[in-house]
Amino acid sequence: MKQELLHVLAGNSFAMGDGQGDMEVDPYAPIGLWSFDTRFVSRWVLTVGGQRLHALSRDELASFETRFVLVPGTASHYVDADVSVIRHRSLDDSFNERITVLNHSAEPADLTVRMEIGSDFADTAEILRPAPRRPEVTVDPVRRQLRLCYQRERFTRETLVTSTEPVEIDQHGMTFRIRVAPNGEWQNDLHVAMIIRGASGRDLRSSLESHRHHVRTDMREDLARWFDHAPQLVAHRDSLESAYTQALTDLAALRYMPLSYSERVPVGGLPWAMSLYGRDAMITCLQTLPFTPELTPATLHLLALLQGGQLDDYHDEEPGKILSELRYGEAAAFGEQPTVLYYGAADTTPLFVVLLDEYQRWTGDTDLVRELRHPARMALDWIDAYGDLCGDGYLRYQSRNSVNGVANQTWRNSPDAVVDRHGREPAFPRATCELQGYAYDAKLRGARLAREIWGDPAYADRLEAEAARLRERFNRDFWLPDRGYYAFALTPDGEPVDALTSNLGHLLFTGIVEPERADALAAHLCGPELFSGWGVRTYAAGQRPYNPVGAHLGAVWPWDNAIIAAGLRRYGHDTEAARIAAGIFAVAETLGGSVPEVVAGYSREVTKYPVQLPAAGRPQSWASGALLMLLATMLGLRPCDDNLLVDPQIPEGYGRIELLDVPGRWGRADCYGRERPADRRRSRRTARGAEPYQRSGTAR
Amino acid sequence: MGSSAVEHLERRVAGRHPDLPENTAGSLRLDLRDGGRTEHWYLTIDQQDVRVSRSSDNAELVVGGDREVFDRLAEGGLNPAAAVLRNDLTVQGNLRLLLTLRRLFPGPPGARHPREAACGGGGR
Repeated sequence: MKQELLHVLAGNSFAMGDGQGDMEVDPYAPIGLWSFDTRFVSRWVLTVGGQRLHALSRDELASFETRFVLVPGTASHYVDADVSVIRHRSLDDSFNERITVLNHSAEPADLTVRMEIGSDFADTAEILRPAPRRPEVTVDPVRRQLRLCYQRERFTRETLVTSTEPVEIDQHGMTFRIRVAPNGEWQNDLHVAMIIRGASGRDLRSSLESHRHHVRTDMREDLARWFDHAPQLVAHRDSLESAYTQALTDLAALRYMPLSYSERVPVGGLPWAMSLYGRDAMITCLQTLPFTPELTPATLHLLALLQGGQLDDYHDEEPGKILSELRYGEAAAFGEQPTVLYYGAADTTPLFVVLLDEYQRWTGDTDLVRELRHPARMALDWIDAYGDLCGDGYLRYQSRNSVNGVANQTWRNSPDAVVDRHGREPAFPRATCELQGYAYDAKLRGARLAREIWGDPAYADRLEAEAARLRERFNRDFWLPDRGYYAFALTPDGEPVDALTSNLGHLLFTGIVEPERADALAAHLCGPELFSGWGVRTYAAGQRPYNPVGAHLGAVWPWDNAIIAAGLRRYGHDTEAARIAAGIFAVAETLGGSVPEVVAGYSREVTKYPVQLPAAGRPQSWASGALLMLLATMLGLRPCDDNLLVDPQIPEGYGRIELLDVPGRWGRADCYGRERPADRRRSRRTARGAEPYQRSGTAR
Repeated sequence: MGSSAVEHLERRVAGRHPDLPENTAGSLRLDLRDGGRTEHWYLTIDQQDVRVSRSSDNAELVVGGDREVFDRLAEGGLNPAAAVLRNDLTVQGNLRLLLTLRRLFPGPPGARHPREAACGGGGR
């Protein structure tokens, strides 16, 4: 059986290895030290006296720091070891490992400590079959350095390992012949720099303003500051507090500094998405506005900078389109993958406008809305000019890159994700329903920004009229009266794709749903076909393609559920929203640690335990963000001018919840909610109704 | 077909660019290396207007590379972000302006409007 993998992570860098701290290539997992989509170390194996080590304990001190206590030999052999080793690693801009060898005997110990070091400089895109590369290895005994360098034309990536203690270096590693005094210790720091060569052989980042002025921050201080800025949660239920702390920790760890911007933005998550994804980043921002609003301006600024400017088939780019994915590795650099700036997503562009508006509602920051007027206008123009592929007023997608473009350009991006109840795939271009909701929402929110901030009432009128027509058209063409829900998608001929999916919740979230239809949608979302007990399945059971372990054909995604719960509350389905929130928190609570991106869709009654999918990433920004959004949904947080409105709907068993110092245009405000006794619960269907626990902002 | 970088800079870069945000402003220098010679082109961007001159003054972003690399940029066959990752273009200063530069050069030739690619060019 494969052993458990451990990681340290910081921004878009991570080191993943086994329980002893060793790293050896494995085709099924991105083992090694990675940064900017390149594996800088693929072999990192420690031995003492030629023997591998066995871990007695592992202490994951922080997301960027782990300590291993080890003894030579295998578990069945060591008894009363005379020697033990402490391996303490941390990751910031570089990877650092402090090795301490302890001699427990009364005699001096002469030992040979060796670290095997190698790199294949693989790209993230080729884990399964890394290309054979021949890095040049240079030994520099004077500087105690081992240099591994890979070059293809002018593209150069370099790993530089430096030892603080005297060392013998060869092509494959470093050897330390040491004598440790009785009851004494020996200590050595290995420092691994990961270099992306730019002008004059120096690191590219040293010549960039965004990075030159970046003072290397102390990771601990940085994390403390992050927590200090976030609201404090005091909950009757301890597991809620730990889930909250874990989510904030994950979100802090998953921020990275891009090359072209000087503030950090969220990456997708470990291990396959350690890069900027437009969708993941914006959803994470939407989820975290009441908690860590500072993520949003950086994300919007960066995505505006990277906004599409031209037609480009290979990169699925059009003017005004918002980025789908950005990578820095060799495959992107040489165009073997379209990921240097890939725009193959139909939802990111409307979401950009949605996020800009929502951010302003929370923070009152009109400057950013003014500053980003041009990119927001371009995004709104894109919806009709480039997104309406059949000229029928619906936002659709079809990749123009037939080599390695993404076929399904929505969050359901697996190749088989879009199918009807019988498993038939519709033709392209596809108009999935949630895209229409996002487009509708973007137009309405764009109209508000135009009217209130850009001083363009004529444009606001136009957008509102377009939104109204879209809503009418959508409610006519997508509604399946016999089934009582909206079609998953429309074919190019306008035929509905009849599958029942969790996208219904997104429709509620965007407000495109006619209020009299919301009851039916809520019943589906919380019915046995869609609701697993842990959360809402992506694709309802009882349909032929349903598969509980299919990522988008039955599995349960926390981020999807956070959107659904917020949508349910928007339409007054508070009890259903609370049920979903409780289900997802139960996943986090039962599994412990970071909430996974997705869990299987098996019924909770059958498995009793959330079944994890091997491919599911953990931690993931939008999964961790989902817990914050669900918490905000439980409390019913909503900005209303300069006040924070609170309308709690706390699930059973949660008791009292206090969220203190919620940031926003009110300054800071405290929110309280408590579970209502069952007999006192009343049904409230007046959407956005009374605010029983309203507390206006108390600026500090 | 195709256009050399110098032709492109002389004829098509200066002037109004409504697709640039009004508030994008800055100076950019392109250093075109040709054997032992380096030609400096200086771009000033303000209020959707681009001025082009020949100067080796300091700029907020300096982009350097072989003339041939810039020629490919002018033909639309080169993504400047990829060229930086490959180290075919070197950059010094404020990298945001590289993304602005991208809008001043053409996209790949023969690229299609998505509607044309999808529904055979049928407009509304």
